[in-house]
Amino acid sequence: MSPRPGDRASLTSRLLIYGLLVVFGLMTLLPFIWMLCASIKTKGDFYTSQFLPPGHGFLGVAWDRLTLSQFAQLFRDLPVARAMLNSVFLASVCSVVATLCCAAGGYGLAKFRFRGRETVTSAILGTVVVPTALLLGPSFETLFHLGLVDHYAGFILPTLAPAFGLYLFRQAMVNSVPPDIIEAARIDGCGEIRIFFQIVLPIIRPMLSAFLVISFIGIWNNFITPQIVLQSPERYPLSVAIFSLRGLYGDDNSLIMAGTLVAIAPVMLLFLLLQREFISGLTSGAVKG
Amino acid sequence: MKASRSFSEWTPWLFLAPYLLIFGTFVAWPLTRSLVLAFEQTYGPKTTAFVGLLNFQFVLHDPLFWTAVRNTVLFTLAAAVTQIPAALGLALLLNRPDIRGRRLFRLIFFTPSIVGLAFVAIIFTLLLEKRTGFVNSSLHSLFPVWDPDFPWLESYVMPSLIAAALWLSAGFYMVYFLAALQNVPAELIDAAHIDGAGPWQRFRHVTLPEIRPVLNIITLLVVTGSLQLFELPYLFYNDTAGNGPENHALTIVTYLYQTGFRTGDLGYASAIGWVLTLVLVGFALLQRRMTQRGES
Amino acid sequence: MLRSFSPGVWLVLLLALGSTLLIAFLPIAPRPGMDLWVFDRNHAETANLIAADWNRAHPEIPVQVSLLAGGAIQARMLSAFYSDTPVGDMIEVERSMIGQIFAGPIEDVGFTDLTGRLNCGGLRDKINAPSFSPWTRQGHVFGLPHDVHPVMLLYRSDLVEAAGIDVSQIETWDDYFRLMRPLQVDLDGDGRPDRYLLASSPTNLFNHELLLMQAGGGFFDANARPTLNAPLNARVIARLATWYAGPGRVTNEATAGTASALRLILDGYVVGILCPDWMAGTLRTSLPELAGKFKFMPLPAWEKGGRRTSVLGGTMLGITKASPHQEAAWAFAQQLYLSPTTAARLFEHALIVTPIKANWSAAIYDRPDPYFSKQPVGRMFLNLAPDVPVRTSSPFYTQAQGAFNLAVIQLCHYTDAHHISDPALLVPEAQRLLDGAQAELLRLIHRNIFLRPASP
Repeated sequence: MSPRPGDRASLTSRLLIYGLLVVFGLMTLLPFIWMLCASIKTKGDFYTSQFLPPGHGFLGVAWDRLTLSQFAQLFRDLPVARAMLNSVFLASVCSVVATLCCAAGGYGLAKFRFRGRETVTSAILGTVVVPTALLLGPSFETLFHLGLVDHYAGFILPTLAPAFGLYLFRQAMVNSVPPDIIEAARIDGCGEIRIFFQIVLPIIRPMLSAFLVISFIGIWNNFITPQIVLQSPERYPLSVAIFSLRGLYGDDNSLIMAGTLVAIAPVMLLFLLLQREFISGLTSGAVKG
Repeated sequence: MKASRSFSEWTPWLFLAPYLLIFGTFVAWPLTRSLVLAFEQTYGPKTTAFVGLLNFQFVLHDPLFWTAVRNTVLFTLAAAVTQIPAALGLALLLNRPDIRGRRLFRLIFFTPSIVGLAFVAIIFTLLLEKRTGFVNSSLHSLFPVWDPDFPWLESYVMPSLIAAALWLSAGFYMVYFLAALQNVPAELIDAAHIDGAGPWQRFRHVTLPEIRPVLNIITLLVVTGSLQLFELPYLFYNDTAGNGPENHALTIVTYLYQTGFRTGDLGYASAIGWVLTLVLVGFALLQRRMTQRGES
Repeated sequence: MLRSFSPGVWLVLLLALGSTLLIAFLPIAPRPGMDLWVFDRNHAETANLIAADWNRAHPEIPVQVSLLAGGAIQARMLSAFYSDTPVGDMIEVERSMIGQIFAGPIEDVGFTDLTGRLNCGGLRDKINAPSFSPWTRQGHVFGLPHDVHPVMLLYRSDLVEAAGIDVSQIETWDDYFRLMRPLQVDLDGDGRPDRYLLASSPTNLFNHELLLMQAGGGFFDANARPTLNAPLNARVIARLATWYAGPGRVTNEATAGTASALRLILDGYVVGILCPDWMAGTLRTSLPELAGKFKFMPLPAWEKGGRRTSVLGGTMLGITKASPHQEAAWAFAQQLYLSPTTAARLFEHALIVTPIKANWSAAIYDRPDPYFSKQPVGRMFLNLAPDVPVRTSSPFYTQAQGAFNLAVIQLCHYTDAHHISDPALLVPEAQRLLDGAQAELLRLIHRNIFLRPASP
């Protein structure tokens, strides 16, 4: 007889799967572990060992040769603290406003019948295929004419209307907001704005929080746009500030690794806190939509 | 208070206004501008002229552009055949109720996709250094026949970029596959099991058709994303503005960026951008056609 | 409604609010006076020192030094010249960035033309003539030269002397590789050589150009017309290819200013380095372990009696046309670049020799340097300064460099594939590849309708 469905797989095949998972998991984590070790080694020890410098301490590691001086240097001598503030500011403000902007737009397109709706929808969704790079030049030109180059607003404003976001929210509105609820609220005399904030937004909150986190991480990691638009070093976000360390401190890899760690850690933390809504929100558009 | 069953004419526009304002200023307008720019040529700070179709004529006969196209297509194909199977494979490994720690593994595989491309470039260029890099020195100490001077970044440009992109994206797409696999009805699999179908047949005839919509979306994401590959090679080979040795790292968007922002010729850059747009639209239409044919 | 949102949403909202407040209360102070952009840490230290003096004497128009990554300077400079976005009053520009600045009609160059100022006080004659060449276009000078950057060959004297090799017999590159050959050895017993005779590689485009210029070749002629396929260039890259590839390979990469290159040098994987003055300064600071183990010799010549030096890198100080402080900027620029204090500091700190001829007689240049086995390094560099090759800057410099470099790499592949070690056999292929490179460059130039000869 063939094994009954639902039977537990044989021990060997399970061991094989565990083995594969551990190997792939290690391969995924190795760059992180290596970076972590590199960031606490001295510049001189950087190449003498793969991970931690060998010595006579616990586990055969020279613990006394490890150092946090790179981190001190980053925050004391280099403007990394300001860059971190800039990154937090840009990522949070952009993601909050973009989420609201896209949610309102998606609501407008999904829940109202009006003349010109199809035109607007296809015009916006059509731009999904436009490569972002095509807009870099003319956008810079526009920002220049508006006097926004090297202003935070010059970075923030263009990020507020992603076509992808509008698409996601339009889908979410169509799929999960029943028209009856809106009708009922209107009959009860609710204002349109109140309906949106008090009834519609709470219904789509999984999408809302997922999109918020996705945009936050996307903006945090953006490198090219801030490099073009935010020109003064005082306005650099971490991505630009840390990458420029490679040019100025190319002989000190430990410093560069410490900087990279500092730049990755905050989003990693945010992601760990919010991973559930992040992953579910990420897939909801594609899998259920 | 006014009780109305219907909304007034301007209500949808009220909700759309903020989006449309931003969209119009920073997407629609620049897009229109780029169409104008594509027929112009710039030389130096203040010299611009209308050149008709010259930019488009030139781009079709520009060996550098075709090098970029070749590299980009190569990367896209490689990305599709590495990232999609890797992501699906990881998802299949994790989609088993009898495996413990699934959430931990899912988390581990996903974490690289949180890391920004600038940081991936910093980390990988150090890992892949010739003699001193982690990869070569580990391989050499494990297998002495391995050449410690193996020139990853110098002679194996595409494999290095593909490896970095795989590390970055496999876990990201895995999450989609995992969600899709969890939606496959267990009864279908059970039925196939009873019919005596082996694991491969079960996957081929039951699971795959069920997750095909997600597979299509991911293919679209991987291909359109890879065709726009830019930051990774640009930052890997920052010292040559993203060209890399023998122009092996030059992609279409890198070339666009170089002409626009380093040579200052926004006109030619726009022409390249519009050619790329046509390719992307073409691929999207093709994919849609194939999807529809698959469904009917 | 408030409770219905997840903690994640609240966290991001809180971050948005908090950071907005912080940004609002930590405004970025506008910079008074003049802003000087530099791309190098050593340059920044020197500039800060001179700026401190200047600011004491001129409190009404102080100078601030901004240290920026080279790529950022290049991007901001272009954006400023093309779209009038804010820019520093003075900018230190690296050799590789200058070509693009020279695109377009000469009156549109974003830097102030300094030719008049240089000529009127006889200032021009006080400065080493070849040092002006990269910053000159059609006879107009757009920057004050910071350096000369002559190149010598730095070699591991400890290894060479232990092997009993007599360097005094080395006059040409052929001599060098022949006499040093015993040093190219397998250090770890895996059958492959680990130590090579010269630090370079097919992808090191800076070294190709350095060696090409030493031989008298170049990318452009004096009128900035491309000369990639000059027969001399072909002969040079044919010889380079036999160094870089094929059975006679004698090079390995360890020259880029990276930590890994320093490690390779420290561990003795290369014997010789093509070393300009600034690189010598970097090595002295970064590798104290090698004190007393290095010596310099003038570059071996390509042919007997040939040039014994070349040039690598270079910086100018330019005053932007947008600066409202033209006179003050010129005054500061002179103080920064012409003063004996700066010259002394540059040399003591970074081993860079000054292009100002009046300062060359200073005693510091004759001082034996214990790091370089007590050689009078400054004097050795200065003796070569007048021989430094002249360079031409073109808006198409980057493209020329790219096309040339591609030809070198392809020639190396050819050399590997056909196991060639005799340069003479490579010359036809080298010429063919360079003809292709030249055609490619001309094609790029002729695309530009502004550069086409007027139609009849």
